[in-house]
Amino acid sequence: MNRKNLFILVFLLPAILIMFGVIVYPFIYNIILSFSNMSLRHFRDWRIVGLRQYVKVFSENTFYVVFLKTLIWTFVNVTFHVVIGVFLALLLNRKSLKFKPVFRTLLILPWAIPQVITALTWRSMFNYEYGAINIFIAKYLNMSPVEWLLRPFEAFTACIITNIWLGFPFMMVVALGGLQSIPNELYEAADIDGASAWQKFKNITVPFLRPVMAPAITLGIIWTFNNLNIVWLVSNGGEPSDQTHILVSYVYKAAFNLYRYGYAAALSVVIFFILLVIGIYFLKKTRAVESVY
Amino acid sequence: MDKNRAKKILVDALIYVFLIVFTLVVIYPILNVISISLRPADKLLSTSLRIVPENASLNSYVQLFTRTPFLRWLLNSTLISAVVMLTGVTLASTAGYALSRFRFLGKKAVMIGILITQMFPATMLLLPLYIMLIKLHLLNSYLGVIIIYTSTALPFCVWQMKGYYDTIPVSLEEAAMIDGCNQFQAFYKVVFPLALPALVITALFSFMSAWAEYVVAAQVLQEPELYTLAIGLKQFESSMATEWGLYAAGSLIVSIPAVLLFLFLSRYLISGLTLGSVKG
Amino acid sequence: MKHAVKSFFTFTSFVIFLLLFSSCSNENPQKVRIVIWHQKPPGEREVLESAVKKYMELHPEVKVIVLYKETEELRSAYIISAVAGKGPDIVYGPSDQIGPFEILQIIKPLEEIFDSTFIDQFDPRGLLWYKGHLYQIGDQIGNHLFLLYNKKLVPKPPKTMSELIEIGKKLTKDIDGDGKIDQYGLVWNYTEPFFFIPFLTGFGGWVMDSLGNPTLNTEATVKALNFVRELRDKYKIIPRECDYNTADALFKEGRAGMLINGPWSIGGYKKAGIDFGIARIPKVDETGLWPAPMVAIKGYSINVNVDEEKLPYVVDLFKYLVSPEVQLEHTKVLGTIPTHKIALENEIVKNDPLIQASISQMEVGKPMPVVPELRAIWDAMRPYYQAVLGGTMNAEKAAEEMQKLALKKIEEMNE
Repeated sequence: MNRKNLFILVFLLPAILIMFGVIVYPFIYNIILSFSNMSLRHFRDWRIVGLRQYVKVFSENTFYVVFLKTLIWTFVNVTFHVVIGVFLALLLNRKSLKFKPVFRTLLILPWAIPQVITALTWRSMFNYEYGAINIFIAKYLNMSPVEWLLRPFEAFTACIITNIWLGFPFMMVVALGGLQSIPNELYEAADIDGASAWQKFKNITVPFLRPVMAPAITLGIIWTFNNLNIVWLVSNGGEPSDQTHILVSYVYKAAFNLYRYGYAAALSVVIFFILLVIGIYFLKKTRAVESVY
Repeated sequence: MDKNRAKKILVDALIYVFLIVFTLVVIYPILNVISISLRPADKLLSTSLRIVPENASLNSYVQLFTRTPFLRWLLNSTLISAVVMLTGVTLASTAGYALSRFRFLGKKAVMIGILITQMFPATMLLLPLYIMLIKLHLLNSYLGVIIIYTSTALPFCVWQMKGYYDTIPVSLEEAAMIDGCNQFQAFYKVVFPLALPALVITALFSFMSAWAEYVVAAQVLQEPELYTLAIGLKQFESSMATEWGLYAAGSLIVSIPAVLLFLFLSRYLISGLTLGSVKG
Repeated sequence: MKHAVKSFFTFTSFVIFLLLFSSCSNENPQKVRIVIWHQKPPGEREVLESAVKKYMELHPEVKVIVLYKETEELRSAYIISAVAGKGPDIVYGPSDQIGPFEILQIIKPLEEIFDSTFIDQFDPRGLLWYKGHLYQIGDQIGNHLFLLYNKKLVPKPPKTMSELIEIGKKLTKDIDGDGKIDQYGLVWNYTEPFFFIPFLTGFGGWVMDSLGNPTLNTEATVKALNFVRELRDKYKIIPRECDYNTADALFKEGRAGMLINGPWSIGGYKKAGIDFGIARIPKVDETGLWPAPMVAIKGYSINVNVDEEKLPYVVDLFKYLVSPEVQLEHTKVLGTIPTHKIALENEIVKNDPLIQASISQMEVGKPMPVVPELRAIWDAMRPYYQAVLGGTMNAEKAAEEMQKLALKKIEEMNE
């Protein structure tokens, strides 16, 4: 083995071993499970039944509705996370601004505090009669209060608002780091050429941010797609009328409420492939896999 | 010139107004959490909007430290998170470098493979993971959770480091190698310090993925002495009789070390030590 | 900056050193370790912990480890661990977890371990026999819903629903004149089907027949659904939106005359300084029936993975945990209803009006089914119950859909 390959091996292998070592067995286990009939009645004596569970996944009408909702959930959340995060990072990166550490610290708080309590606080802020949001709407905007948690669309919106609040600080931090990689001379040169702020953003900031933001966004999509907690807490487990679920809530319900492990595994594999397609498409688009060197 | 300065002041003023309003909106829910922690009778909800409630008391904070082994949980969580942070930074900075600087067979597959590890719904991984840990005798051991946390933190960190290295010109290392450095020295002495902002993000992210994690910790660590903050906090929860005062107080205190770490690290995140200045 | 990197590494290596150091503190390996998992609410937890402490003082050869887990999580974590051949030695929880545990064969039949003289010491309602085996011995019976009333607002609790509505109408009002109602006659977590059961039974319905088949598409379901909706929309004595925490806050703030909740909540209302009483949920005028909440025991079971060698120790601790002394400790602090006959005859139980009221409600209650099908039924009821309250579906249609969905879920679960 030549020196270069040895170097690559030493640098890469430990990380690879840990990442894949943890996941390989559980992954294969689930793939096998997804072809089985493992359930409450066949917990120990399960057997392979072929594609039956997959057929069930795709023959449910709700699957498609919930899938669509999950896409909306993911798209809206990640878009807001990134836009708000990058925007704040740009502001906080401004040289002339004072008190930057204060803003930075306060703005990272939603990420730092354990989610359960903040998500439930949001839920109480959406309360019809006593929630701060409705009181604000009624008092200052002179509009009639919104039944946030009683109507499907509003409840889903409430979940999204909460999750946007929880998720933007992470993107902000990543973007702040990314902005440090941009040499100042580039902006100075652009100033001399008389470039507008927008031109500078588009031609200098974006290209430099992209390699750093692309992985954060890709993983942001994956995490948001599979983020069960927030929906569960804010909508109190799918209220009203199971209208606020995303796909993973179904996995959770099938596995833990009804002990349908084979079905839950099959649904998980389907989710996995959906994410695989989305992920690879996104990476192709952003050319994040491409090497610079 | 004067016109430009006036414009700049105006823009700054607008930015201040925006930031202040936005920050207020962002911290309002947190003020509510503070309010819950001060309420005397474990109420999650209140019909009043007052931040400092009637009969406010610091009782929850006192109880947190006197009635519960909160400090022990804090210590345990700090240990675990610090180790995850260290391994995260070490492994991600090296793996990211290899992926950024070299061409080799299967590189694309590795890059995508790393992301794939994150795609499977975590709920379903718990049972096989548990079986695996039993077989490896890693139940009730910090090593078990540390390995799992590192594996969940690494995919983002490796990608992120790789992305950041990509923005650092390779000519810097080439120059260093002409001066007699070997490949490792070129990495450690030239590129590693330049990647400080990315290392900070990696450190922070690794720390955070371990800091408040609950599901894995609860399944692996089943001895009170081993409890972490997240498991400890969960003790205040109960199907219908949660001790919300303690829960809120605990949550707020849990966030303090994370914020301190961020404060400490963000000096290096936003320092003047960027590429531009070094290169110049 | 090099300095920063250096100090970072020094710090972390220090931490690793600490970690290694701290993991070396092994305890005496000679002791028998017994692990208990439970889901007791905060107040009860302390009673259990101090009881266990006392036990360990008497039995220095045993180390008991008590772990709390939330109900749902305890169930799934126990299934995962016990199936994998591990898990706690003793598991405590509500009786409906026995259904899946029995099917998965992860708990021991207790009648093979305890003799009949021991078993006969308990009130039959405190023993969980299921499919011919005794799987769980309760340390308390009940866990049922009842009516709590704020004595300041409701001096005498209503006996019938029409009385309740009358009182409720008087109490529901806007006190400070801002156009918003700030005091309600009745509050409860009306989004959750478990809290709907008293109404369902008050109109003569029930969730399933003796074989576990759902019985939701009935006249009783329709009437009960309509009744709950009328409480809100016609009589206007309950809030527009009310989940558990809203109801809890309103009652704790003295802004609700009456509340439907269970024994787990009593501690919180005492702590909030509310002067309250407990009564049966009032009779439904139309049927003349007392609403029957679901009654369940909470109790202990033994893990199937406990080996012969350890079993005697586990059994001894088990006997202690369900003994009249420990049960009465619970009753003293929390007002739980004991299962041991000796404890039931004790003055602490006899002289407490809250406990007596709770027992009186329990006497008209119905045992919660143990079969796992109940979970499918909850899942089927929830969306349509909420749809009726949300005004998007009428009660007849909802009852029909509940039944359909329950049948489908049960079929899926049992295949």
